[in-house]
Amino acid sequence: MNMAVSKKLDRKVKTRKGEYKMLTSGPIVVMQVPEVLNVGEVHNFMQELGPLLESNRPRIVLDLSQVRSMESAGVEMLLHCLEEVLKRDGDLKLAALSPEAEVILELMRVSRVFETFRACEDAVRSFNAIPAEAVSQNTPWYANVFNELGVVKQAS
Amino acid sequence: MLGAIIITSDQSRRVRGGTFVSAEGSAQTPLAAVEVLGKPPVTRLAEALWEVCDLVSVIVCPGRHVGAHSRSSLPDLADECFANYIGKGCDAVLIARCGAYFELDISNMLAFHQEQRLECTRAFVDDGPLDVWIVDPSVVPSYSWAFSSSACARTAVYRSQAYANRLQSASDFRRLVLDGFHSRCLLRPEGAEIKPGIWVCEGAQIERSARIVAPAFLGRNAQISEECLITRGSNVESNSHIDFGTAVENSSILPNTYVGIGLDLSHSIVNGRNLFNFQHNVSLEITDPVVLRETTARGRGRQSSADIESGMAVSSVE
Repeated sequence: MNMAVSKKLDRKVKTRKGEYKMLTSGPIVVMQVPEVLNVGEVHNFMQELGPLLESNRPRIVLDLSQVRSMESAGVEMLLHCLEEVLKRDGDLKLAALSPEAEVILELMRVSRVFETFRACEDAVRSFNAIPAEAVSQNTPWYANVFNELGVVKQAS
Repeated sequence: MLGAIIITSDQSRRVRGGTFVSAEGSAQTPLAAVEVLGKPPVTRLAEALWEVCDLVSVIVCPGRHVGAHSRSSLPDLADECFANYIGKGCDAVLIARCGAYFELDISNMLAFHQEQRLECTRAFVDDGPLDVWIVDPSVVPSYSWAFSSSACARTAVYRSQAYANRLQSASDFRRLVLDGFHSRCLLRPEGAEIKPGIWVCEGAQIERSARIVAPAFLGRNAQISEECLITRGSNVESNSHIDFGTAVENSSILPNTYVGIGLDLSHSIVNGRNLFNFQHNVSLEITDPVVLRETTARGRGRQSSADIESGMAVSSVE
């Protein structure tokens, strides 16, 4: 699993302008956010990210490791992106937050709005986890426990 | 007769420069000149010295660390002041290069100096020397000579258990604020204690729906807008404005700072556009004026060296 993810991550896809580092892992897009996220940069970044947001069930990971400065326009952009992907039944996750990005998101009270991960790989992997809604609501809570016990018995 | 010379830096220029809120605390960090609970430590020192000294002079060095003599004019001015004290018949001269906050018993140090019969006496606290000397002007010919190697060889060491905070980093600054709140030192917040643990200075405005949780300090003309929360030992210094709905927790807002709407400011020191966060140990400049910015002073205006009480000689190095 880890290998598969990392192999896919190694595939580097150049953007139209070649300004932003973008990596793909199957349908999951990992995109590096620029160092300074001011109004101008937000505009440029959105030109790259915009088409991805309009795809069906977009699954995006934003790598914030390079972020040194972020204006309120940058935070608004992140919220806008999240809103757009959720509308299309997708998800947006933040990964490898720099201390600066972390402080700014906390300052602006949005740090809890996003799902954040230490590394991009972790964020990519989280997309592959079984979503909660996939678990049948009709199954009793103890069903999994008994299933597991059965597996243990068989193994022994 | 005891004379005192305090050498400090000009806070107003430093605040505009915005360089002093740094992770490391460098030579560019004149935290002793920054307001702590209503008054800069250097002003508090000058007031304390005024109680025990007959003459007090404050030399203000603009835009420079007080320990660094990069221009010749500072020693010249100090020499002039020193010569003036000798002319007026001072038996001893206290020299304090104010980079730290300390609570030395000056009378006791003077008595120790007179017992030792040496040219110089330097104050030491638990973690090392302070930039505080008492010199004998009958033996020491000038201010500059007091710091020469020949003078150092004949310096008595005055050891004290007194409270001292070196103010070398933003963390030291924050520790001094909390020590002041919790009476771990003699530094008391300015203004009136309107409720236990809440001090408010003249001209401060607190909207009805704002919540202030003790211990907290609001400086002169500070403005706390509606739905704000000031808590966990936070201090909002003079002319600062916390706008609607913002929570300030375990933080210091330095003078003339605007903090925008609906923010969550915790474990930080904010000075204009500059923010230092302790939890993440990161210093950053917020360029967005709706989030953080410097304010223009209201009322009495910016705190400056001119606030040092009248009656003391204040000289500026140009």
